[in-house]
Amino acid sequence: MTEINLSWPKNYNEVPKEAFVRKDIYAEEVKRIFHGTEWHPVAHESELPNPGDFKTFRLAGVPLLIGRDVEGVVRVFYNACSHRGNQLETAIMGNKTEFECPYHRWLFDSKGDLVGCPNPREFLPGFNKADYPLAQPRFDIYFGLIFVTLSAETEPLLEYLGDSQNCLRELLAGDGRLKLLGYQKVRYDTNWKSYTDNDGYHAPLLHQAFKMLNWQGGKGRQYTATHRGHICFESALSVATGPSVLKDKSLIEFKGQDPAVGSRIVSLFPTFVSTKHLDVINLRFATPIDAETVEVHYAYFAHQDDDEDMVRHRLRQSSNLLGPCGLISMEDASVFHRIHIGNHTPGSAIFQKGVHDPLKLESEFLQNDESGNLPRWEYYRSVMGFERATV
Amino acid sequence: MMQTDTSLEAALNALLLADAHALDSKDMPGWLGNYADEEAAAYYCRSAENSEHGLALGFMYDDCRARLEDRVTFVNDIWAGTFQDYRTRHFVQLTSFNRVDATTLEMRSNFSVFMTPKDSGITQVLAAGQYLDTVRQDKNGELKLLSRRAELDTSVLPRYLVYPI
Ligand code: FES
Ligand SMILES: [Fe+2]
Repeated sequence: MTEINLSWPKNYNEVPKEAFVRKDIYAEEVKRIFHGTEWHPVAHESELPNPGDFKTFRLAGVPLLIGRDVEGVVRVFYNACSHRGNQLETAIMGNKTEFECPYHRWLFDSKGDLVGCPNPREFLPGFNKADYPLAQPRFDIYFGLIFVTLSAETEPLLEYLGDSQNCLRELLAGDGRLKLLGYQKVRYDTNWKSYTDNDGYHAPLLHQAFKMLNWQGGKGRQYTATHRGHICFESALSVATGPSVLKDKSLIEFKGQDPAVGSRIVSLFPTFVSTKHLDVINLRFATPIDAETVEVHYAYFAHQDDDEDMVRHRLRQSSNLLGPCGLISMEDASVFHRIHIGNHTPGSAIFQKGVHDPLKLESEFLQNDESGNLPRWEYYRSVMGFERATV
Repeated sequence: MMQTDTSLEAALNALLLADAHALDSKDMPGWLGNYADEEAAAYYCRSAENSEHGLALGFMYDDCRARLEDRVTFVNDIWAGTFQDYRTRHFVQLTSFNRVDATTLEMRSNFSVFMTPKDSGITQVLAAGQYLDTVRQDKNGELKLLSRRAELDTSVLPRYLVYPI
């Protein structure tokens, strides 16, 4: 760890804009946060439904190979050959029962064991294939959601999730039995923190769709689940009423079972955002590329028990509603870019809505409060070792 | 390519260029006007990566005429004034076509789209890929898009999309 200086304001509702743009801070974030004691969701099991299915993903630069072995067990490996470290698999997803490294032809099975290598008699005396399986990071699974941590010190996953567990389970359709519909992938020209800092307070103001569709929101609950500032939003579903400007109203129709669990958002420190809204189930796997770029893979799901009509409805709704081109979210994507430009100015971003006392942190908020992000900022500050000013 | 039917080829090219022109002019009613006035008229935009893995989800999924009309409303009314605007230039190149029946044709074309955000003024590639089109020919011989799938080689977009590709 390197000591880096950033003077942090006394008030909890102020975040210095420098934190979003300084390259030295970013380098330290990679060490302390992305390689540190955090769990990072990298896939859902339903993205690899069959034995041999795999997906690759880079977590803050670290290449991962997430696969289901021939017996159906999910495993996570570093996507690098155990010989000289060549990237093992280049496909973004696929199905293989063996992975061959083309460089010197080492062959690994779906359990990560080295099962073949040409001419081992020329290797070090005593060379034993059993000593060279693919290396693995720690991983764990919650209702199908696969988490990775690059630190041995991170607490167990359930502890890490704390009070966000129930909201996350409900978001994963209650049982995690999902079926992949597809991806929308995009890079935003913004710091990863600006991406996750997109708060609850803006929906009716930024998104004209809410007004035009007579969509009432904002009645739900927002709370902080752990000292890391994971945020959960829970609200009964609100459905647009009144005259609609849309000719095809199915885009904003709810066809699911229980409107009481209609709307959920779980945002886990540092970059994971997931949402269930109307009939959209969306897990956003995000990773920083550099200080000014974040890449987000929006993965969308149906439930395994859906009939054909429901799958089709989810497909139509998921494609057009909440992603980087979605009816009620495209403007968010635009704000990511603009916030990042604005952050190259002096001073702090100052949170207002829902803040009662700038010297106190709260943990319960209204759905449309922006203060829900503040516990996460306090955790970030403490991990980064920035001193909070006393005056 | 059928060497014999140069006038048909010219008409298909004219349709491709009309769509590129409407998009680059941000003329959404003009864009809609390139589609057949049929319930089944459709526009999809999705990554080839999704298609290759049997995943139907797209960036845009307008599978009926009503949704195409709503797409015009999104751009012209709902999103107006909320985003960083950008210019686009579509380059299209017909690569093959064939007749399906008396009123239907299929065509494929390559596309590349440059974008230039108004504030930065820096031009970059927004997406490359191919259009897989079904074309309707009416009694007067006029051609309209019945369905278009913009299949993007670009699986990771360099930004959000406001306008169809
Ligand atoms: S680096 Fe993979 S076989 Fe040598
Ligand atoms: Fe939003």
